[in-house]
Amino acid sequence: METVGHSVIRKDAFQKVTGAAEYTADRKTVDTLYAKLVISPYAHAKILNVGIARAQKVTGVRAILTGQNTTHLLTGEEIRDRPIIAYDRVRYYGEVVAVVIADSLATAKQAAYLVDVSYSPLPVVNSPTEAFQQDAPLIHENLGSYKKIEHVYPIPGTNICNHNKIRKGNMDKGWQASTVIAERSVTLPIADHAAMETRSVSCEILPNGHVIIHSASQAPFAIKRWFDNLFNLPQSKITVYTPLVGGAYGGKSAIQLEFIVYLASKATGGQKVSLTNSREEDFVTSPVHIGLDAQVKLGSDSEGNLQAAEILFLFDGGGYSDKATDMSKAAAVDCTGPYHIENVRCDSLCMYTNHPYATSFRGFGHPELTFAIERTMDLLAEKLSMDPLELRWKNAITWGQLTPTQVMLNKSDIGDTKQCIEEVKGLIDWDEGTRFEVAENIVRAKGASCFWKTSNIETNAGSGVILTFNEDGTVNLSCGVVEIGTGSRSVLAQIAAERLDIPVDQIYVKMDIDTSITPEHWKTVASRGLWMAGRAVLRAAEDAIGQLFWVASQVLRAPPDDLEIGGGYVYIKSEPRKRVTIQEIAYGYVYPNGNGIGGQVIGRGVYTLVGMTYLDPDTGKGDPGPDWTVGAQAVEVEFNARDFTYKLLRAATVVDAGTIINPKLAEGQVMGAMNMGLSYASREGFIFDKYGRVLNNQFRTYKLLRYGENPEYKVGFVHTPSRETAYGLRGIGEHGVIGMPAALASSLSRACGVPLNFLPLLPEKIWRATMGGKG
Amino acid sequence: MIGFNFDYYRPTDVTQTVQLYQTLASQEKHPEYLAGGTELITMARLDQIRMGAVIDIGHLPEASAYGFHNGQLIIGSAITLTQTSKTPHFPLLAEVGGEVADHTARNQITVGGNICGRIYYREAVLPFLLADSTVITLGPNGFRSAAIMDVFDKRLRLHRGEWLVQLMVDRAITTLPFYSVKRRKLDQIGYPLLTLAALKKDGLIRAAFSGLCAFPFRSTEIEDILNNRDLSKMERISQVIDKVPGPILDDLLASSEYRIFVLRNTLMEMFLALESEGA
Repeated sequence: METVGHSVIRKDAFQKVTGAAEYTADRKTVDTLYAKLVISPYAHAKILNVGIARAQKVTGVRAILTGQNTTHLLTGEEIRDRPIIAYDRVRYYGEVVAVVIADSLATAKQAAYLVDVSYSPLPVVNSPTEAFQQDAPLIHENLGSYKKIEHVYPIPGTNICNHNKIRKGNMDKGWQASTVIAERSVTLPIADHAAMETRSVSCEILPNGHVIIHSASQAPFAIKRWFDNLFNLPQSKITVYTPLVGGAYGGKSAIQLEFIVYLASKATGGQKVSLTNSREEDFVTSPVHIGLDAQVKLGSDSEGNLQAAEILFLFDGGGYSDKATDMSKAAAVDCTGPYHIENVRCDSLCMYTNHPYATSFRGFGHPELTFAIERTMDLLAEKLSMDPLELRWKNAITWGQLTPTQVMLNKSDIGDTKQCIEEVKGLIDWDEGTRFEVAENIVRAKGASCFWKTSNIETNAGSGVILTFNEDGTVNLSCGVVEIGTGSRSVLAQIAAERLDIPVDQIYVKMDIDTSITPEHWKTVASRGLWMAGRAVLRAAEDAIGQLFWVASQVLRAPPDDLEIGGGYVYIKSEPRKRVTIQEIAYGYVYPNGNGIGGQVIGRGVYTLVGMTYLDPDTGKGDPGPDWTVGAQAVEVEFNARDFTYKLLRAATVVDAGTIINPKLAEGQVMGAMNMGLSYASREGFIFDKYGRVLNNQFRTYKLLRYGENPEYKVGFVHTPSRETAYGLRGIGEHGVIGMPAALASSLSRACGVPLNFLPLLPEKIWRATMGGKG
Repeated sequence: MIGFNFDYYRPTDVTQTVQLYQTLASQEKHPEYLAGGTELITMARLDQIRMGAVIDIGHLPEASAYGFHNGQLIIGSAITLTQTSKTPHFPLLAEVGGEVADHTARNQITVGGNICGRIYYREAVLPFLLADSTVITLGPNGFRSAAIMDVFDKRLRLHRGEWLVQLMVDRAITTLPFYSVKRRKLDQIGYPLLTLAALKKDGLIRAAFSGLCAFPFRSTEIEDILNNRDLSKMERISQVIDKVPGPILDDLLASSEYRIFVLRNTLMEMFLALESEGA
């Protein structure tokens, strides 16, 4: 193939490396007003009063929104439990209690300090396990009366905002067949996405009522739908613009600031209001990475064949349910990891706590569930005296077997986990050994993990593409996939170039999204950009080719069926010298005498997922997503047994990516995800005090893995093509993150000789686990 | 973005600084001296500090001096940590200062700013404490010269309106063997769980600490224990822990127990480094 399989430089590269690329907050206009949030210093409290008199006196203040003077409409992805601005109660540290709108950001900020809010503190629920206790304070007393979608299962009178059940096989039978049982509890903290660009929005309401939103969002089309849902605005009266987005990782699929800035614009007569999170707000006020407490029990026969799994997930959804309920469902769907187990019982609960609320994070519940399963698989391997990767290889799920939600997998649905395991062993030299003492107190150790993930998105999610031709035969590609840094839009251009058989530099890709003219892509989430939009590109290319053939058939006096496109021409298959250039027919054709036929070629294509179903509430049975991407990962560390510090030496991932369209971009996606997984696993996570306050909402104290602290990254691919996608590609945007925490914990556990079943894996915590804190 | 207004002054003569300070203070402007600005700006952004005026001393020749003069190394307070690392006249300062914050910040952070800052690690002071440096300050009563151990108690004890102009170190001290290490939570950049700076003079160890308590310190009592060769290293370390001059920090970076564990290990490494040769 000419274009597919080549590492074409992404279309946004030059703008980005020169600093010319523009993001939402760069688009300032002279008439812009600025909004500043006032946020709660309490994690759980009654709001007694919000005094705005002093703030209002500041020159340049245009309006101040509080819970008292603005709408009490509730919002939320699945359960409408969240006020746009808190009005009687705050449920997490950093929740918005007021918004000051002023001529300048400095003025807004100055006035924001003068808003006097008085609170009466309430008892705080500080973990999902605490939330699960019988006598836990209730965070949402009105849970039973909230509006919600049909397929979410809150339990009013408790802090459970969703309960998904997996009931597969017969547990008694499973335990009877199990001679070896491994049980483990794990705990993972709430953390942040820490995208380079903090969330940013603006809103203007034109005199005719048209609402214009600019948003750094993964879901511009969903914003349009939510404005319709919530404010009853016709969708033709809302336009959402999304330029390049500076990192998202799931965190920008939530809709939060958009509602606030709309109310702010409304309060100032429709003037343009801009709202950009400070880093501190981006950490806690806007939604975060979900946390988890879990218990897993696995049973196998003496040969290591898994027989039974019993799993309890308690997700830390935070103060509001938003997308967390969907993540707890996604974790139920893939609860066993990529292993075939006939008898499975899983209860996946999403808990309200007084933590910042969660939204999707790269991996969507899978890094978390995988940590729980893989830590238990390690224990099982130990009990069986079996190589941990051999145990995984032996149980790897494949076509012809049933998933936890009882989908019978076919050869397109799932990649080759066994092959991934074999190849990752090579990349990390697994067979040379997994633990060495290289010097006094210095140990090198390896650990491994497998993963799988399906996309768990709406059953009818879809994507559209328009290809408009220029007069010179070059092409403009328009689609709704947001450029969040993955390079997806450039890869879509490669797919179009391949099908049209023209060089990829003849395809222009506009990076901005304008929801009034750009065809919709459901949301740029779930590693479905190329999966869905790739199909739409092919359909649009076919449509354009049909139009080109219609004109060419008249020019060449041959039926369209006899025509072929290639090398910039449309030609007669049997007589390739009879041909016309694409340029000559891209705007129709003009005969020598002046007659014209046809017109600008505009190809259109749409694709919608097929065959997916809702899950049965009692058993979880149903088809949750289009396919499963699988892989295997490993980490090697050098551990200092004297001071409990460690270095990351090597990290390897082999993922079954099907056909790869752009090898360098694919490798970059996987490496970036591995880095993110290791960063989260080794050092991230919010630190809460007993009052539920986040102590580390700054990069001074919330540490990310820096360049130089990273290991050597090794990425390999297995190529089992999907039969449903463009050229057989598979989604890989998230997957590199999934097994990294488990693999790191495995390597460090092997190094220090004590099981480490928590994150982050900080030296102090390893010291405590090893010495019981009595060192 | 700073949410309040303030006036900016850039005096051309060192003597104007204090006058200006007094005038602004009498106008209730709550002035602050400005050197690199990293702390003022970041704290003002979060409304953790408010000032009505800043007096920039960064460009004044006295504050920008850096070199040897009559057997003394003169270090102006506005010299950046990057400068002390790039031209390492005082290698221990180069090493300790080179571990503060990150490179971009060190291009801006000054020696004086780090020593007088509100962020209590103030690691740049450790080498000066060990060197028995002289500090030159300027205040309402004019220039003052003092031994650092007399005026540094947890922080530099300055009078209102007084600012640190220069530090002076004997040339001989700058060539002594030393040991310094910064222990962090996990990362290569960040605040210290413990920064230990030590040097050896006339066969005796001097040691100064940051990150252990809510202030940096050098303690003669601790040094006496460290140099008591009648005791084993382990015994000396245990006694040192008992003599730490304040509560050991217990915060989001580390618990106090873990800090003690880190302190034990680090002191042992220091002994190995400084007592092994010719000990």
